[in-house]
Amino acid sequence: MIAIAWVNLVRLFRARANIFFVIVFPMVLIMVLGLSFGSGFVPKLGVAGGAGARAGELVAALERTGRMEVVRVGDDAEARELVERGRLAAALIVPEGYEGAMSGRSRVALPLLSRNEPSSLQLGAAVRSVVQQVAMPARAAAYAGDGSFDQRLARAQAVQVPGVTVSYATIGARAGSGSRTDDGFVAAASTQLLLFTFLTSLTGATALIETRRYGVSRRMYATPMPGGRILLGEAAGRVAVALAQGLIIMLGSALIFGVRWGDPLGAAALLLAFSLVGGGAGMLLGAAMRTEQQALSLGLLLGLGLGAIGGAMVPLDLLPATMRQVAHLTPHAWAMDGFAELLGRNGTIATILPQLGVLAGYAAALFALGTWRLRAALTR
Amino acid sequence: MGSPIWVLLGTDPAHQTAIVSTDEILKCRNLRKTFGDLVAVDDVSFTITAGETYGLLGPNGAGKTTTISMIAGILARDGGDVSVCDRPHGTSSAWGKRRIGYVPQDLALYPDLSARENLRFFARLYALGRAEARTRIEEVLEVVGLTDRAKDPVKDYSGGMKRRLNIGVGLLHRPPLLILDEPTAGVDPQSRNAILESVAALTGEGVAVLYTTHYMEEAERLCDRIGIIDLGRIRAEGARRELVALVGELDRITLTADGTRPVPELEALPEVREVGVQEGRLDVMVADARSALPRVLAAATEAGLVVRAVEVHEPNLESVFLHLTGKALRD
Repeated sequence: MIAIAWVNLVRLFRARANIFFVIVFPMVLIMVLGLSFGSGFVPKLGVAGGAGARAGELVAALERTGRMEVVRVGDDAEARELVERGRLAAALIVPEGYEGAMSGRSRVALPLLSRNEPSSLQLGAAVRSVVQQVAMPARAAAYAGDGSFDQRLARAQAVQVPGVTVSYATIGARAGSGSRTDDGFVAAASTQLLLFTFLTSLTGATALIETRRYGVSRRMYATPMPGGRILLGEAAGRVAVALAQGLIIMLGSALIFGVRWGDPLGAAALLLAFSLVGGGAGMLLGAAMRTEQQALSLGLLLGLGLGAIGGAMVPLDLLPATMRQVAHLTPHAWAMDGFAELLGRNGTIATILPQLGVLAGYAAALFALGTWRLRAALTR
Repeated sequence: MGSPIWVLLGTDPAHQTAIVSTDEILKCRNLRKTFGDLVAVDDVSFTITAGETYGLLGPNGAGKTTTISMIAGILARDGGDVSVCDRPHGTSSAWGKRRIGYVPQDLALYPDLSARENLRFFARLYALGRAEARTRIEEVLEVVGLTDRAKDPVKDYSGGMKRRLNIGVGLLHRPPLLILDEPTAGVDPQSRNAILESVAALTGEGVAVLYTTHYMEEAERLCDRIGIIDLGRIRAEGARRELVALVGELDRITLTADGTRPVPELEALPEVREVGVQEGRLDVMVADARSALPRVLAAATEAGLVVRAVEVHEPNLESVFLHLTGKALRD
């Protein structure tokens, strides 16, 4: 069984093109994406209009996040031009009626001009969050008794819910503190890990078809090795390929870019679980397809498509709620959740058990189908 | 390459004991396999003894590969029995599979791995120990003449080299039974000749060989016994001469001589069934030309004939196949 798994790995790295696609390419992508969002990079947000006190509070709230550099610009046209030229990642337009709308309980829209880039999309999500936070007390002020808007707002901001005390405490080091994981490298590394692990598993399924086409699979069945162990060996080979790809990215990004992956046991378990999913998908694809060309085309389509849907290209936080639900039909989204838990909230293997469970379910289903298909393909 | 590519199995006493301990290496009885409505193999029975080469001769699609796939334990049979060295054998019989060397028609090798890596891979599948595998790999590389190219990827080999390695994999674990499925398909005449000589050398060492082919010449040259298979059934079985006897044709010895005339001395020979006299030539009909030829020549010389040329015509398996199935072998 180990011999079959080993020969799969040897063949993967024997092809020179694979060395580029499995080792070099993901690292280059991590570097490019990491540098884009990397240490010291603070996206610029332009704010046009809004000279009043409420707009001032909004700008102050945006600045307090520390996630953006707020720049005042003259007007909408200038904001648009600066965004188009890439001088600003995004621009928020505060309309003239903003002050009145806030105090008069009427709706007001704040247009956000954004570049179609991940950093700009992330900035947009942060801006939306701040706007919601600022608007909440203003809404509450409408129900805060009589008096001017300022008085009601002050009362709303001071209101306390009896019996509920929210206390904050910081324990231990901040997640990712002291490493570059709190910059863009961690996001790049975790998304690329999922994207490439799955992609390599699927495209690597061509090896399974080759083994059948060469007649090596039939010859294996003529050896004393039981059929079940041959299938297990092929499955282990698929997992070994996925695991190798994942380990290369995980260890490579840690060594080259200083990425920390959180709890080692949790990270290892998550990588193994996702590699099992990738291996299962590769096994099913390799068993179901007849030619290498079919497997390669479908593998690329599924690898990139599921990666995009599952949040390995665009962060799930930026997607609407419906899309986030759809995303969780893919194993990528569950693995992303797992990494978010490990990296963002100092999670451990215990806290990612739900994600590990779902991934194990995916893997079991895919391997069951893949084994069934492969057995049929080999013995007909 | 005109000489055999190996003289093989080595001198492992345990192995030799295994071969001589049972004379009947392979026994198939009433094998049957269907694929849906298609009956691919129907009631096929034969045995092979140690040192014997048994040929399955039939056109493409006759059921040869299905038969040997069942014997090799790759394909489950729908009916019948197979025993290897007197033990029942099937798809899950590891014991039997250790005693079979299977050489498929396809080059069942990884082209991106070297010869040594391919052999190492299959040595592990045959559960050879590390030390034994190392020794056997080097031995096999030596006998198939690939020691110098052992590190090169198989994809860089010539067709003949690939065929030799393909056969080498089948010999790695010193099997007493070697199954060769059309091993000369797509091979140049020189390499084909070498492979045939090598198979003959193997049987000389006591290996039982099951050889499938659709080349009549190969079966005639190599096989001690031949099973003629068509549409999944063995139509006839026996040594070449026995099969030819089924057709009822006689061998013909044609003597080209000056001043031909009736020769009573020839007609008096017990082997001779009939003598035809034509201008410049005598056609002597015998049951077995090879054994009768010396006496026929001696009688002709004694009768004063000056023989200028001798030609022997033996009915071949093509005639037998045509007789049995009503169609030519290569249809």
